[in-house]
Amino acid sequence: CNSSGVNGFSFSYPENLSLDSSCFLSPPVNFLQELPSYRSIARKRTIILSRDKPSGTLLKPTDSYSSQLEGDIAENLNSQSIRKYALNISEKRRLRDIQETQMKYLSEWDQWKRYSSKSWKRFLEKAREMTTHLELWRKDIRSIEGKFGTGIQSYFSFLRFLVLLNLVIFMIIFMLVLLPILLTKYKITNSTFVFIPFKDMDVQCTLYPVSSSGLIYFYSYIIDLLSGTGFLEETSLFYGHYTIDGVKFQNFTYDLPLAYLVSTIAYLTLSLLWIVKRSVEGFKINLIRSEEHFQSYCNKIFAGWDFCITNRSMADLKHSSLRYELRADLEEERIRQKIAERTSEETLRIYSLRLFLNCVVLAVLAACFYAIYIATVFSQEHMKKEISKMVFGENLLILYLPSIVITLANFITPIIFTKIIHYEDYSPGFEIRLTILRCVFVRLATICVLVFTLGSKITSCNNKDDDLCELCGYNQKLYPCWETQVGQEMYKLMIFDFIIILAVTLFVDFPRKLLVTYCSSWKLIQCWGQQEFAIPDNVLGIVYGQTICWIGAFFSPLLPAIATLKFIIIFYVKELSLLYTCRPSPRQFRASNSNFFFLLVLLIGLCLAIIPLTISMSRIPSSKACGPFTNFNTTWEVIPKTVSTFPSSLQSLVHGITSEAFAVPFFMIICLIMFYFIALAGAHKRVVDQLREQLSLESRDKRYLIQKLTEAQRDVQSQPA
Amino acid sequence: MGQCLRYQMQWEDLEEYQALTFLTRNEILCIHDTFLKLCPTGKYDKETTLTMEQVSSLPALRVNPFRDRICRVFSHNNVFSFEDVLSMASVFSEQACPSLKIEYAFRIYDFNENGFIDEEDLQKIVLRLLNSDDVSEDLLMDLTHHVLSESDLDNDNMLSFSEFEHAMAKSPDFMNSFRIHFWGC
Repeated sequence: CNSSGVNGFSFSYPENLSLDSSCFLSPPVNFLQELPSYRSIARKRTIILSRDKPSGTLLKPTDSYSSQLEGDIAENLNSQSIRKYALNISEKRRLRDIQETQMKYLSEWDQWKRYSSKSWKRFLEKAREMTTHLELWRKDIRSIEGKFGTGIQSYFSFLRFLVLLNLVIFMIIFMLVLLPILLTKYKITNSTFVFIPFKDMDVQCTLYPVSSSGLIYFYSYIIDLLSGTGFLEETSLFYGHYTIDGVKFQNFTYDLPLAYLVSTIAYLTLSLLWIVKRSVEGFKINLIRSEEHFQSYCNKIFAGWDFCITNRSMADLKHSSLRYELRADLEEERIRQKIAERTSEETLRIYSLRLFLNCVVLAVLAACFYAIYIATVFSQEHMKKEISKMVFGENLLILYLPSIVITLANFITPIIFTKIIHYEDYSPGFEIRLTILRCVFVRLATICVLVFTLGSKITSCNNKDDDLCELCGYNQKLYPCWETQVGQEMYKLMIFDFIIILAVTLFVDFPRKLLVTYCSSWKLIQCWGQQEFAIPDNVLGIVYGQTICWIGAFFSPLLPAIATLKFIIIFYVKELSLLYTCRPSPRQFRASNSNFFFLLVLLIGLCLAIIPLTISMSRIPSSKACGPFTNFNTTWEVIPKTVSTFPSSLQSLVHGITSEAFAVPFFMIICLIMFYFIALAGAHKRVVDQLREQLSLESRDKRYLIQKLTEAQRDVQSQPA
Repeated sequence: MGQCLRYQMQWEDLEEYQALTFLTRNEILCIHDTFLKLCPTGKYDKETTLTMEQVSSLPALRVNPFRDRICRVFSHNNVFSFEDVLSMASVFSEQACPSLKIEYAFRIYDFNENGFIDEEDLQKIVLRLLNSDDVSEDLLMDLTHHVLSESDLDNDNMLSFSEFEHAMAKSPDFMNSFRIHFWGC
């Protein structure tokens, strides 16, 4: 491209001004450093460096600069604390002295304000420092982070979060339900239980045959412990123990049914809010651009190295995982381009294949669900036989049959899904995500199927018990106290899940490690290799346990305490297994990806747990023989009855809020607000795109001008004096 | 290689360091111990310095592919005084604010120290990250091109500080990865 530099500084446009940016050489950096924009940014960053490098020096400090610094400080005095300045300590000391002398010129009020804000900040910091000491397992998680990276560390942080969540849920239930009962039972306060006699109800519905046997064999004791029947059934572990209508203190009567329902709603709401808060914390970044955010190359290259790695082998592993990841990303982009270039007949073929394979997936799911249904029905029917007539192992097998089938289904379906997805021809990243989503769905939906099967058995009536069933609303003969029985199923699921996790670690992971270490000469063992810490499977396992806890906490109030203990033990077991048997996998999860994935799966679990709870609370009549809701038709009825005891103005307010006349306009307003925000986001995106375009045009102009300037300078210099 | 005389840090100094850096008490004392263990024989006083090799061989920095850049950015006249080590630890601590970390990350990644992260710097960063002998030119060019297309807003094939700041503010992993919390104890 020609450019004619003329005497002085008058330019003429070159003849063939091509708009190709390669025409402009990259401008000398010195020029760019002299631009006012660069200087003002540099001032904001307060660079004070004095390096003597021959080429490419940073802004040198000048005398005017240091006074400029003081001038800036005078402008925004104390706008940020000293620590945030990018200076070394002696310079910060000087800055602080300047600030303090400046402070003398302020009024008394301003001085006091500044002093009090400083002391408040210092107090907050000390408080934060103390709370970090109280953080559970801080040292363990730090050492895991240093040895295995942030991906696996995020799994253990997630486990710690679940321990805390379960502890808080148990505290809520304890405060609202257990505490008044314990106070009365152990006569700590002067209160009594209130039993409201039955109204016009059939006495037959209230029959609750408590099985009491004379001689208890030892193995039936074990069976009771493992399945929640027998001696455990009447303890405060299960719903049936709380057959109390109130606790009468000196001044007021504590309404236990209302407290029980409120505790359930409270722990579900608290879980939802806490999970959402935690997921928002990790997401403070505005997702202005597309969702390929986590795959952004900037993120992987500038934030790719974990600076906290101290271990040489971990560093090598991180290097190899970065090599793998960056190559895989470029590969994925190539595949996506290839997909975009598919011909229409290929696309048709692929889509019909995908349709067929999705039907296969649905068929597999249906088969699993049906197997669980059959197993649950079989187990429920045969549980009613006499214990003494059965052999020990057979008894346990029947009791645990649903749990066993669920665990087998959870083991087989991921293998099938990983085989199927190869044929569906997606990009590698999408393949992994879809497989994980399918496995999540299977894991969590199996619990729902179990609960729905139980629900259908409870409300179904066969011919023999026709009259009693219709009278009481549920199958009274088989399930005199159905909530306790559902609680027992949840208890069994939890215990079995715990046993399986321990057994797999003890009997599969450790022997595998021993075999690999000591018999590595065998080809087969070498191929099999050491265990890798598979994050998705482990996370699904603990989310599965948490979903069981959420569903079961209504039917078995002590279940969250058991879940807390279980997760604490699992933490230590998994930590030992990680340290002694696992090798880190070459494919590493990033912490940001992991956190999002864990919380999403947990949220899905919570939603799937709320569905059976709401149905059982509002549709299925509560059992008349046990529990706090004997005087109500359904559990939910407590709320309308309580509202009817409010003063009439409050009552009419509540009725108004829950009526259609309020709900429909409210819904419409919410929709309007949502549409407004969507439109606003679209408008912002357009503005951002326009500004970006403008920015690149301005930059081109700048480079052109600098080019011209350098040429003109060269011409002036080359001219004779 | 002997130990320095035991120098007890004065309480006022500790308070001052706590006010001027993001480090907690325990961290400052820990770094002080580590510094004492490494400093050469002779009397310890406020002017004792460590060489860049000594700081590079700290366990926190030993395996870091950018350790030479870190040492260059935080040292003065190619040596580290105790306060330089404290400044370095403060920037890498968990409580440090994002703007400070972004500032120093920019300085660390600017290999040729011209105030911009250009293609040459990016290629060096990628080579350090991959730490492998057979990296093809295509891979380097591809990665550099991707990074620039994502974050170079004014299309000058370089990242200025504002562009880098903008990119790191949107990066979800930056705060987590730009952290060192183990300085020797």
